[in-house]
Amino acid sequence: MDIPYTVSARPDTGLYNAKVGVWLFLASEVMLFGGLFSAYIFLRVGADYPWPVHELNVTMGFINTLVLIGSSVTVLLAWASIKLRKFTAYKVYMAITIACALTFMVIKSFEYRSKFTHYSVTMTDGTILTGHLPHGFDIEFGEVNELTLTVAGKTASIDANPVSYVLPYIKGTAPSFKTEAGEDIQLDSTSFAKLADEARAKAREKQKAEGLKETPNWSIKLKAASPITFSVPPSKLLAKPALDAKSISFRDGTTVEGKIINDKMTIEVDGVDLRGTPEKEKSLAWNEHYLGSAWKNFFIHQRDEAIAEFSKKYDDGKGGLSRDPNKSATHQKEQFYLHIHSPKPESHEASNAAHGAEVHAPKEGHDAGHASHHPEVQLERKDVQFYSNFTPKLNSYYAIYFTLTGLHGLHVIAGALVLAYFLIFDGRRLRENPEHMANRIEVGGLFWHFVDLVWIFLFPLLYLL
Amino acid sequence: MADSPEEIYKSIKKIKVIGLMLAVFTILTVGLSYVELPTHSLNIIVGMILATIKAALVALIFMHLNHEKVLIYKFLAFTITFVLALFILFYASSTDPLVFDGF
Repeated sequence: MDIPYTVSARPDTGLYNAKVGVWLFLASEVMLFGGLFSAYIFLRVGADYPWPVHELNVTMGFINTLVLIGSSVTVLLAWASIKLRKFTAYKVYMAITIACALTFMVIKSFEYRSKFTHYSVTMTDGTILTGHLPHGFDIEFGEVNELTLTVAGKTASIDANPVSYVLPYIKGTAPSFKTEAGEDIQLDSTSFAKLADEARAKAREKQKAEGLKETPNWSIKLKAASPITFSVPPSKLLAKPALDAKSISFRDGTTVEGKIINDKMTIEVDGVDLRGTPEKEKSLAWNEHYLGSAWKNFFIHQRDEAIAEFSKKYDDGKGGLSRDPNKSATHQKEQFYLHIHSPKPESHEASNAAHGAEVHAPKEGHDAGHASHHPEVQLERKDVQFYSNFTPKLNSYYAIYFTLTGLHGLHVIAGALVLAYFLIFDGRRLRENPEHMANRIEVGGLFWHFVDLVWIFLFPLLYLL
Repeated sequence: MADSPEEIYKSIKKIKVIGLMLAVFTILTVGLSYVELPTHSLNIIVGMILATIKAALVALIFMHLNHEKVLIYKFLAFTITFVLALFILFYASSTDPLVFDGF
């Protein structure tokens, strides 16, 4: 059956059918993004932290904006080329459009990746340290001689599965275990399945003997041949262990007793945000075993410089200021957000001299690789209130950032797929019915412009303002 | 609909000019975001005005809403009404019934 009005206009609407369809679709898309932009406003107004401005990579966002604008132009040129029956030009413009879409996604994925690997650590006094965790963050828990597995009765939500949830976090190779029956086993899925079956059988016997309604849970104790040390990220545990925890539970309910050996977090600090710290000069970050007084002095110097500059810039000529320093988000950031680019604070005389005709001595530790560009700090867990990489978990800004750009990215992919289909699989239509083909490109193009239009708002709202 | 070759050539020129204008407006938006206006709200307002101009160029010229059939305007009238309602939600929420100043 032929679909009517693919080329000529339907008399009552004055439009070919696909165009009516795509506009209805775009209308619903406007509602979808409208709802999310509305959510953005609510989150921004309700945020109890300084809303990040210029915190994303502006250069990458700017390039991506140009890429999308460029692709909007080329998709129109592709359409015009069909109208002019220049089929080769059409193919070239269409290929450029799709290449732009790919470029956009590649740039976006670099941006995402840099956020996933970057961490923000809020200390108990409100100071935020940002940086990379070169070894991730694991809690080392040692002197463990015994595993207590809990094989669930019927209704429990947690069932022992040490092979997936416990064994991967043993430091070194897993020792052999002795079962309660005195048998030596290597814990693996076969041996565990056997143990679990035995446990369930015992649990059912008990159920029968005592006339219980439900099968009870059954504990299995496994003695380790040699003491075990675990190295496990806190997220893989059932609950955050106390500071002096004598036992930890894994997510499958397996409990072990022992003691915490090392729960320090190693972070290569690239930023200290003191905007949420009540007493900036007494921040935990300046503890001698953390960043220390050298960085504190560097901070004080930078803050005073920022204040002096602000006073000069907004001098109203009557000894006052024409702008409230407490209400300037930029000034707050300049004063209290220290960016760190070197392993040790450069003294200001030294950096001034470096601009002169002095011989440039290589910076200390310059060749020692990536880690040496930032001071490395070992944070004690008692000082850490919250930590997260720059993902939706961190705060509502990153939540809405990933929601909006993620959904937009899916639109870019969808649009590129449709346009690629036209280019690759619609060759016959192009030769036999170019007017129909032009209409198809127009409809695909309308969607593509809409994707561009959404980005036109996303870029300033998330990157710039 | 521009269908004769002359009109198409004309519209190609227009498309390229608008593309260039969009790029220029983008540069302006980025530049202005680094200028500290008296309040940050003013930065946001200026930024959004620029974005709206860009969006209007895309919608009117690229999506040729400047000369479209009545039916599509009817669809969009509904959409705009509902989107405005979404944003009015925000204003409605600013009168918080829990905050009471007293008699």
